[in-house]
Amino acid sequence: MVFKDTMHIGNLEQFEGTDVTPGEISKRKDFLQFRDADIERLLEIRQFSQEHVESIVEEFYHHLLSFPDTKEFFRDPRVLARVKKAQIDYFNQLTAGNYSDDYVRGRLKIGRVHQNIGLSFDTYLGAYRRYLESFFLRLFDAYRSEPEKAVNSFLSMLKLVFLDISLAMDSYLRTIRLQTEAIRELATPVLQVRQGLLISPIIGLIDTQRARQLTESILRSIREQRAKVVVIDITGVPLVDSKVANHLVQTVEAARLMGAMVILTGISPEIAQTLVVLGVNLSTVRTVGDLQGGLEEAERYLGYRLVKDDKATPFQS
Amino acid sequence: MQEIRIPICSDTDIVAARKLGREMGTKLGFSSSELTLIATAISEIARNMVTYAHDGVISFAAVGTTNKRGLLIVAEDKGPGIADLSLALQDGYSTSKSLGLGLPGAKRLMDEFEIDSKPGVGTVIKMIKWNRRQ
Ligand SMILES: Nc1ncnc2c1ncn2[C@@H]1O[C@H](COP(=O)(O)OP(=O)(O)O)[C@@H](O)[C@H]1O
Ligand SMILES: [Mg+2]
Repeated sequence: MVFKDTMHIGNLEQFEGTDVTPGEISKRKDFLQFRDADIERLLEIRQFSQEHVESIVEEFYHHLLSFPDTKEFFRDPRVLARVKKAQIDYFNQLTAGNYSDDYVRGRLKIGRVHQNIGLSFDTYLGAYRRYLESFFLRLFDAYRSEPEKAVNSFLSMLKLVFLDISLAMDSYLRTIRLQTEAIRELATPVLQVRQGLLISPIIGLIDTQRARQLTESILRSIREQRAKVVVIDITGVPLVDSKVANHLVQTVEAARLMGAMVILTGISPEIAQTLVVLGVNLSTVRTVGDLQGGLEEAERYLGYRLVKDDKATPFQS
Repeated sequence: MQEIRIPICSDTDIVAARKLGREMGTKLGFSSSELTLIATAISEIARNMVTYAHDGVISFAAVGTTNKRGLLIVAEDKGPGIADLSLALQDGYSTSKSLGLGLPGAKRLMDEFEIDSKPGVGTVIKMIKWNRRQ
């Protein structure tokens, strides 16, 4: 029988939207010293595992149900039945001999499910330990006459378990990354005030990544909304150094190439003074003191005019 | 006030260094606009560290005599160093196609500025902002 996992070094596919690539998996297996011999040992205990899996899963859920935090997840008996079944499938997979791409995808997917139901990483780890104890005790009991075999099988199992845990962690990290991105996205909104006029109030620190994101979302909005003027308000930005200033200048320049004018508002006296001392040249950028003034200037530029109409009788038909 | 050291190797560290500089500056009684000048100088120096030297350490300490207090900032890295210091201190000189205002700007933002750099050894920058209102 051939147990070799296919190697995919150089393949740039990423599993399940995580940073995990097939090459990365090979590297991890290497470092875990997870080899063909381990796969063979796991296959050898396949039958043992299948015989005991149900009682192990019973113990496993008994443990989970005896803590209020984890019990909460299984209030619905149908859910409990379903997850027990999934758990049996999972534990069976551990000795199924196939630990390649599909296995990895499956593990990452489970990690995502855990995320979706709000299961924390420490709960996951704690539950895993409970499983290993049940498994270990039964294994040593079954192989009483061959303790060395039991130890070796268990060590092989541990390698696979550690691979699984690392994959679960990738899923958790992915979620954290997505959340951070979402927060960033929220923190750099570009809103259409009226036809042709966008406003982008920036709040908080502008680091390199956020500056890039800001430029991108402003340019994208200019194209999508066919904007003629963008008011960028930096009242909520505590510090502008030469790099951030350069980003702003470049955004203004790129917007101009797309046919839109940028008005920069909300430069605090502290930041204005700092920019002057730094020597940043903002002469190509149209600046207006505050957001209100910026919007007025933008509307003038667009040809809108606010007039008070004395003869108007707005609320009559 | 004790000396505080902070390792710099990422954007997050730059933000942390600026924050620390502001905190120490606040304790030393600097005004809000002076704090912004100090934080910006730190930002420039820390960014250079990350960009050109990969990483480094910035330390902060209160200095001075009975009638004069200030914040000393020392930035030290073991990066490639700067071959021509007077060129690097000129406005607009940059080896990375950026504004080239970091070093000369930081020098103007602070009251005292000393830079020592050896190619292949690293760069040390010492800068002080004095609190004039004491
Ligand atoms: N810590 C450092 N290590 C090595 N080289 C540096 C360091 N700091 C600055 N430099 C060099 O000095 C030049 C000028 O720096 P700076 O005034 O901050 O301008 P900029 O970062 O925009 O290029 C840089 O382009 C770089 O070549
Ligand atoms: Mg610089």
